[in-house]
Amino acid sequence: MSWLKVDLDEGRAAFRPGEVVRGTASWSLDAPPASVEVRLIWFTQGKGDRDVGLVETMPCPAPGAEGRQAFAFPLPDGPYSFSGTLVSLLWAVEVVALPGSDAALAELVASPSGREILLPREMPDAGAR
Amino acid sequence: MRARDNPFAVHRIHALRFRLTDEGWRELLARLSTLGCRAAIVGPEGSGKTLLLEELGARLGTLGLAPCLLTLRRGERRPAPEARAALLAGLGPADVVLVDGADELGPLAWSSLRRAARKAGGLVVTSHRPGLLPTLWTCGTSVELLADLVRELVGSEEAEALRPRLAALFDRHRGDLRAALRALYDLYGASPATAGPLPGA
Repeated sequence: MSWLKVDLDEGRAAFRPGEVVRGTASWSLDAPPASVEVRLIWFTQGKGDRDVGLVETMPCPAPGAEGRQAFAFPLPDGPYSFSGTLVSLLWAVEVVALPGSDAALAELVASPSGREILLPREMPDAGAR
Repeated sequence: MRARDNPFAVHRIHALRFRLTDEGWRELLARLSTLGCRAAIVGPEGSGKTLLLEELGARLGTLGLAPCLLTLRRGERRPAPEARAALLAGLGPADVVLVDGADELGPLAWSSLRRAARKAGGLVVTSHRPGLLPTLWTCGTSVELLADLVRELVGSEEAEALRPRLAALFDRHRGDLRAALRALYDLYGASPATAGPLPGA
């Protein structure tokens, strides 16, 4: 049975901008893929179509059917992890076996507080004093 | 409710599969072959035409064919020149051109595209109305289908609680399941909890 997974070091899943996300991607596939990529991404979920930002890619050329790859991605200044009623923005490290669609990811939070920013359901009236 | 927790978020809707059994797929693929691989998926707004076209493309891919998708937006009377050129460049017998929203095209653009696609091994389109090509599949909707999709998204217990609302939603959106599911997103989004049943359900 094929599998891929991403483990973040020490199980840590909350980071501040500028911190380095470290961990290990590992896989066991039925056959050696052409390549494996480990990616730092952000993406949206919600009512609208999904937006994706590819921040950094670490290629693993000529990988075997089984393997592991350590990674270290410095987090950029933004965007921060947040959730509102209409859209959430999430960060993740994903590992993808190419060609094909086999992939796995580990979600993480990126924000100055280390917590997902929750938007108020209704924005305060800009004109209110 | 956070958008990421909303069971009707788009990524969850996109994960739904077209309701067709293995036997149904065999029949559909046999019919497509009978029609010379030139056919239309027909149905009203929000009835799953795009989903069926995408899944058909994936199945054709597993059969060694190369699906080439062109998606037309509402009111797009002709495809963008770059998109058209990229789609039609080097077409061969192993290629199957898939056009989502072919009835958006003007008569000249449709005629031109259909002619250019003759080099491909197949041409399958979606359309709200029959007539562009022989009909491969007619997509329809029902309250039962909406209930089935909702059950997959929220689970049996919560779906049962929603059941009395679904017929009204279905009627309000004239059978457009995409619109009905978006309305359910809004209803869940109004819930203050991060997860939980629909308020008033």
